[in-house]
Amino acid sequence: MRSQKSEVGSRKLRWLIIVSALVCLLSLVFAQTEWKQALSGYQFDFSRDHASHPEYKIEWWYYTGNLATADGHRFGYQLTFFRVGVDQQPVNPSRWAVRDLYMAHLAVTDIDGKKFKYAEKLNRAGVGWAGAETDRYRVWNEDWQAQQNEARQTLLKATDEGISIELELEPGKAPVIHGQNGVSQKGSQVGNASHYYSQTRMPTRGTIVMDGQRFEVTGASWMDHEFGTSFLEKEQKGWDWLAIQLEDGTDVMLYQFRRNDGALDLHTSGTIIDANGKATAISAADFTLEPIQKWRSPQTGAEYPTKWIVKIPARNLEFEVRATIENQELITNGSTGVSYWEGAIWVEGKSSGRLVKGRGYLEMTGYAGAAMGTVFD
Amino acid sequence: MRLFRQFILRHLLNERLRSAATILGIALGIAVVIAIQLTNSSSVRGFEAAVETISGKTSLELTGVGLGLDELKLRDLGWLREYGFVSPIIEGDAQARLAENKSESLRILGVDILRDRSIRDYKLQSEAQKELTPTDFLTLLIDPHSIVLTEKFANKYNLQVNSQVTMIFGDKTETFTVRGLLRNEGAARALDGNFALMDIAAAQWAFNRLGRIDRVDIRLRDGVSIDEAETAIKQKLPTGLNVQRPARRGRHVEKMLEAFHFNLTALSYIALIVGLFLIYNTVSISVITRREEIGTLRALGVTRKNVLALFLAEAAALAVIGCAIGLALGRLLSFGAVKLTATTVNSLYIAVAAEPPTLSLKHFLIAFGIGLPLSLLAAALPALEASRVAPTAAMRGNDRLESRFRLRKLYLIAPLLLLTAAWVFGQQNAVRGLPLFGYGAAVAIVAGAAFLVPAVLFAITHIGKRFLARLFKIEGQLANSNLAGAIPRISISVAALAISLSMMVAIAVMIGSFRETVNYWIGQTLQADLYLRPATRSNVTVDAPVSPEVEKLIVQHPAVAAIDRFRNFDLPYEDALITLGSGDFNVILEHGNLQFKEPRNQTEAKAAMRTAIGATAVVVSESFAIKRSKRLGDEIKLNTPNGEAAFRIVGIYYDYSSDRGIVVMDRGTFAKYWGEQLPTSLTIYLRDGVNHEQTRDEILAALGDKYRVLIYTNAAIRKEVLRIFDSTFAITYALEVIAIFVAILGVASTLLTLILERRKEIAMLRLIGADKKQIRKMVVIEAALMGGVSQSIGIVVGLLLSLVLIYVINVQSFGWTIQFHLPVLFLVQSSILILLATALSGIYPAARAARLHATEQVAEE
Repeated sequence: MRSQKSEVGSRKLRWLIIVSALVCLLSLVFAQTEWKQALSGYQFDFSRDHASHPEYKIEWWYYTGNLATADGHRFGYQLTFFRVGVDQQPVNPSRWAVRDLYMAHLAVTDIDGKKFKYAEKLNRAGVGWAGAETDRYRVWNEDWQAQQNEARQTLLKATDEGISIELELEPGKAPVIHGQNGVSQKGSQVGNASHYYSQTRMPTRGTIVMDGQRFEVTGASWMDHEFGTSFLEKEQKGWDWLAIQLEDGTDVMLYQFRRNDGALDLHTSGTIIDANGKATAISAADFTLEPIQKWRSPQTGAEYPTKWIVKIPARNLEFEVRATIENQELITNGSTGVSYWEGAIWVEGKSSGRLVKGRGYLEMTGYAGAAMGTVFD
Repeated sequence: MRLFRQFILRHLLNERLRSAATILGIALGIAVVIAIQLTNSSSVRGFEAAVETISGKTSLELTGVGLGLDELKLRDLGWLREYGFVSPIIEGDAQARLAENKSESLRILGVDILRDRSIRDYKLQSEAQKELTPTDFLTLLIDPHSIVLTEKFANKYNLQVNSQVTMIFGDKTETFTVRGLLRNEGAARALDGNFALMDIAAAQWAFNRLGRIDRVDIRLRDGVSIDEAETAIKQKLPTGLNVQRPARRGRHVEKMLEAFHFNLTALSYIALIVGLFLIYNTVSISVITRREEIGTLRALGVTRKNVLALFLAEAAALAVIGCAIGLALGRLLSFGAVKLTATTVNSLYIAVAAEPPTLSLKHFLIAFGIGLPLSLLAAALPALEASRVAPTAAMRGNDRLESRFRLRKLYLIAPLLLLTAAWVFGQQNAVRGLPLFGYGAAVAIVAGAAFLVPAVLFAITHIGKRFLARLFKIEGQLANSNLAGAIPRISISVAALAISLSMMVAIAVMIGSFRETVNYWIGQTLQADLYLRPATRSNVTVDAPVSPEVEKLIVQHPAVAAIDRFRNFDLPYEDALITLGSGDFNVILEHGNLQFKEPRNQTEAKAAMRTAIGATAVVVSESFAIKRSKRLGDEIKLNTPNGEAAFRIVGIYYDYSSDRGIVVMDRGTFAKYWGEQLPTSLTIYLRDGVNHEQTRDEILAALGDKYRVLIYTNAAIRKEVLRIFDSTFAITYALEVIAIFVAILGVASTLLTLILERRKEIAMLRLIGADKKQIRKMVVIEAALMGGVSQSIGIVVGLLLSLVLIYVINVQSFGWTIQFHLPVLFLVQSSILILLATALSGIYPAARAARLHATEQVAEE
């Protein structure tokens, strides 16, 4: 296991921004106990750090993966659990008093069936309808849950109308800790940071249900877990994020900010993890992302680039990224209130001159107009 | 048709006053019936409409056994998601204190505002058309003193987002901040805008219901059948939980109010029946005054059938106009009636914002479907008489109605048979909780009395001859013989008046007896020095609890010797709701003074009550025992959160506070099933020699502004009980007054008939020297005589009816023992009033008689 410096490192900055905005507004309204800040020197301990850290305001567990049946029917999935602390010590003694908000998103892409379905949940802990344990890894939202068993396998389970996943994930490569000294710095101020690690290639098997039809599947998943308290950037309009698992064992994470003024954001960066688990950070200067084809969402009217050319000259990598199916947009008015595109992708290109293929996930935010804006208003 | 126009309409127009009186009579009768219909439906409908609007897309709801359900039970109900979307609910009423010392009751719905939107539609906004910002929303979520009002309510009191509102939840006063407004759609339309939304956490805290929720609303997935889901969920639910449709709550309320409503409806028909006598009268008058014309018509070839049809058409014309006016008048009266009944319904049954509903097809059907046929029936007799008029005799004026009365056996046998029937009916049991036979007995008595009227008139005019002659000289004698000569004619009017008077007497005796009984009962039972309850009631099914802080302060007060913490709530039992109460039996036994019906021996009863402490035993109210046919030693099965449990009845006590039936168990027993619960009222016993009012004031001062409670001293609670009692019967009196007014109209129009019929006699009297004054006096005496006879019959029949009311109808509908008590003063006063009123009603006919031109009438001869 190697930790690796990464300027931003956050694949899910979007959530940070939304949630931080809310949290900042809230702290204006309520004087409350301080939340713990993510500070340098944090020592990760993976016998407990998969579990929840309620002393921090924001935390999430993010799973994406590309899976297929034995006869080659391909699927993508996304399962995300968010916890946002809102009031560390509610004055109201009711069990329903809100300490944390729990949100969850589930999406299944039937690549060969050209179908995409998603669902969302938003709950308070209440009588235990949602929560995250602190002594062992178990996070849930109603009947959706992610849990680690004694064999250190992660079990994912989520069902909604027509779709369902029930997956078993092996740890795979060791966790990659982003940032320096156990902390991933986000802004210039001390504490504007998070504790952040990923498991980039988790061998996965289980079942996926699409439109009531069950499929036995295997493949690889990518997991992110991040917790912190404050990180707010006002100028970002949106971002494009890529997680790629190449067939040669290399994993690539790339991330680019799009600013309101069109300038390149300094926080744009990435991480490359080789087949042995060795991680190397790359900065904005080390790569380019070029959109070459757009898809217009019939629901929101947003135009999402669904085909990209990616170049990382320093690593002699160049490939094309293509959405497996175009419509993988999530409109989540019932939980986060934000519309975004997150979906399974195909990757094809050259690594040091050799042909290489891969799978992965692409996330694009800030394309569906007002959604981000309202948060900042 | 032309004939109708010329013969009937013109006549009706000429006799404007009499037509108007008849129409008024019918209209009042119909109006009372419609008003009561509207009023009755307003309380149930108001409740149902609120349930319906507030429940939104809820198809099923999960409830506990009284007191809502323990929220931790939700943990094991994850499987409900299979059927649909679930949302836990806290619901109750709170009071908003507004500017200028106004306060309004608001229905508060406490929901998980993160989840509930898929069940109910509401548009949360900060101001017109502006959506709530995330900050507003989160503040609403987190600040436990946040509330969302409807736009309508906010506009009414000039409130905006961020305005402060003082709210009273049970006994707690707290300041809330308006965090959002609900647009006038969906649930926000409930109760005319007196609706507010809170987050479930805030509502739970405000209502003192921590740890419990009132119910869980379930919205089924599309395509899931409600019936199938209901059955399936029922099978899977653990003990102590039920699943039902939201409308079911309305049915409980309907059942609860059924007896009260039934009795009001029955009363309302009295006015209608009396109104029908007026139709009879009017058609009779038409027939009498136009015998010659009828004769002419017949001579001209108009058939008997046509004549019958003509007079029936006259009745129909009057009835149709009367019914139409009655409908409109009924709607107007219903506003008053709702006010009169609201206190009763609210203080004894449920708190609802009652407003009479608008007229519907049903009411038109009632008005015309009942009013019209009955009017035709009433007119049938005189109309038939008209059709039998022999042309030539009538034209000559020789043919008169039979005016001499012959006492036939029928007039004695029929009443005897009817009274026997009444006696038999009186012995029968209730039918489905309704005293149908009781009303049958009342109807039989009334009918019997009506049949007896001619005989009574015959007897009285026989006996009264001398007496009246001595008292009123020649005018009295004439009046007496006039009546004696017109017994068949006046019997109907006297009967109508006598019947409505007998109803009044019966009801007065019943209420008087009831009041005496209640008065005695409170004297015996209400022994405590102070009674305390939260200032506002908070729910249809759960009374507001007394805050622990309040209780603590009272216990610590040096003047307080003991308190009984009484907790009560509604519990479904069989098909209706009963009240389940729990008190501290030790305190009740030592300080209180429950009056036991069984065991009769009070010492024995107290010993029996002592055995109930810590045992699965209860004492029940008399009305519970009577309505559920339970006796001492019987077991009753109650639904508890731990499943059905049997309790033995060790005592039956008198109680007049509610007809719902009360089951009381000791606190210890109660806690085994429902856990420790906050009390809903405190009964406070003070040390000897302490000033009660001073102690009350001290407690109130110590509670300050934060808590709002009502504390009654012993004297005040007795007054309060009687106040509620009296307001309960306000509507009864109102209905009675209308019926009597209609009956007196009948007397006036009958006299008019008599005078028109006897115009030749009167003319003759004038010719032989009677002056106008004497004629007037004679007619007024006739009127008063009719009133007097009616009132005498009314008192006798009324006393009989009161026995039926007290011992049959009351027991069967409410389950109360009432000690018979004669309200002598009332009877004397009402008799004098009736004599005066009927004498007054004779003034117009008297004036009319005096105006008759002697020469004109006699010249005809």
